[in-house]
Amino acid sequence: MAWYNTLGKASDTVISTRVRLARNITGFPFSSRLDVSGASEIIEKVSVPLEASGFRKINFTDISPIMATSYVERHYVSPEFATKETPHALFLQEQSGIAVMVCEEDHLRIQSILSGLALEDAYKNALCAEKRLDEDFDFAYSETLGYLTHCPTNLGTGMRASVMMFLPALTAGGYIGALATQLSKIGLTVRGLFGEGSGASGCMYQISNQITLGLSEEEILKKLKEAVLQINESEQKARQAITGDRLEHLTDRLLRSEGLLKYAHMISSAEFIKLFADVRFGITLGVISDVTYEQLGTLLVEAMPATLTLGAETTPKNEIARDKLRAQKIQAVLQNKQ
Amino acid sequence: MLCEKCKKRTATVFYNENINGKTRAYSLCGECAAKLREKGDIQEITSMIGSFADPFSMLQHDLFSGFYGLPTSKNASAEKKCPVCSSKYSDIAASGKVGCPTCYEIFSDELSRTIQSVHGTTVHIGSVPSRHRAQKAKAEKLKQLRRLLQEAVQAENFEKAAALRDEIRTLESEEKKEAQ
Repeated sequence: MAWYNTLGKASDTVISTRVRLARNITGFPFSSRLDVSGASEIIEKVSVPLEASGFRKINFTDISPIMATSYVERHYVSPEFATKETPHALFLQEQSGIAVMVCEEDHLRIQSILSGLALEDAYKNALCAEKRLDEDFDFAYSETLGYLTHCPTNLGTGMRASVMMFLPALTAGGYIGALATQLSKIGLTVRGLFGEGSGASGCMYQISNQITLGLSEEEILKKLKEAVLQINESEQKARQAITGDRLEHLTDRLLRSEGLLKYAHMISSAEFIKLFADVRFGITLGVISDVTYEQLGTLLVEAMPATLTLGAETTPKNEIARDKLRAQKIQAVLQNKQ
Repeated sequence: MLCEKCKKRTATVFYNENINGKTRAYSLCGECAAKLREKGDIQEITSMIGSFADPFSMLQHDLFSGFYGLPTSKNASAEKKCPVCSSKYSDIAASGKVGCPTCYEIFSDELSRTIQSVHGTTVHIGSVPSRHRAQKAKAEKLKQLRRLLQEAVQAENFEKAAALRDEIRTLESEEKKEAQ
């Protein structure tokens, strides 16, 4: 079991929670000025405590681009990390959703990802891995600026906590722009599905802290949680406000999407994301009852291009074959009730 | 961070003023910015928020260059180099990324404004690495022992002073060993 096929708290508006801690090891320059031998040395050094604590090492310079992309689709690494050319490695504890990216923008990006709203647990998990590394390494730290990071936007706690929210009613109402403005006033930010630079799709938005310095980790988590709960309430109200003819039309659309997802012969990834959002919305409204959040969560990873291809018996030769394969995968997961 | 005009509302608009080659950066709230815009005091305004597509990447991109302007080549800080990684401030400003931990000390003046504008502060209050915590505790202990030693000497309690001196020496030698 991984984070994406289990059911978490507040799952009708929250898909997942992630907390990451940025750390750098003293005696080495930051990543962009780190040469190949420096990067290899860091990877080798952190391997010892991490492998001893049950982390699996994945050397990213040794794996295929498709495998690297599959880790992005499972949200264990950033898109930038997957395409780096200098030595970089991932240390993964898939059961507990803890992933340590080594030689990303910072030497260490310790992150924990969990299903649903679970800020405290995700922080606890990330901190546990961080403490293990803190025993062996001297982290770059200044009394005034806190943990020193490659980019000044991560200084202080080095912590970015983010909650992936599913907000179809607020999206339909055109409230997301206003929400982003409101959040930025309190030091929070909104991003798309795959983090920085990725556009919003499938009515999914990552709400995260922008400020990392001058607040304690607990304060950051509290502030984010309060915001998420408020957004949750707004989304619920927006859902309840859909009544009468609007609800009839919406129900019709969502059920048609369910039909497409279950019976179409070919489904592209862009279409899948759209249908995913509709069917998920249908479940939250009580319109769709024979699809579960867990099934959709599984598909959100397994129907993505790289993970889908890796899971196939034979590699699809072209786009048509891949879209056919996606439709078959979706139907197989939906028939297999969890 | 607060608007530098009214000092009440949160600053959401940032812009550069360039008069005779001198650049000055302003951070304002929406209302104050609108007032200045009406009066024609602001020539160019970039709103940091309100762009939903990716507010963060825009922020990062504009952190150094867009909003604050780079020091010119005549500026001494542009020529200053970090002794550890050889970064110049212009390298940092161009990439938005700092070269190594020492750069934060070398370019502390240049970076402090950026840090202040991003986080609204320049002082960390979160968690502390265990080594640093232990060092800090040791330093405080040493300070306390030295004070007690002075008091013991003044009180002519030499037996106690000798014991305190031994304790201080042990702690100091431990510190030296750790530093090596």
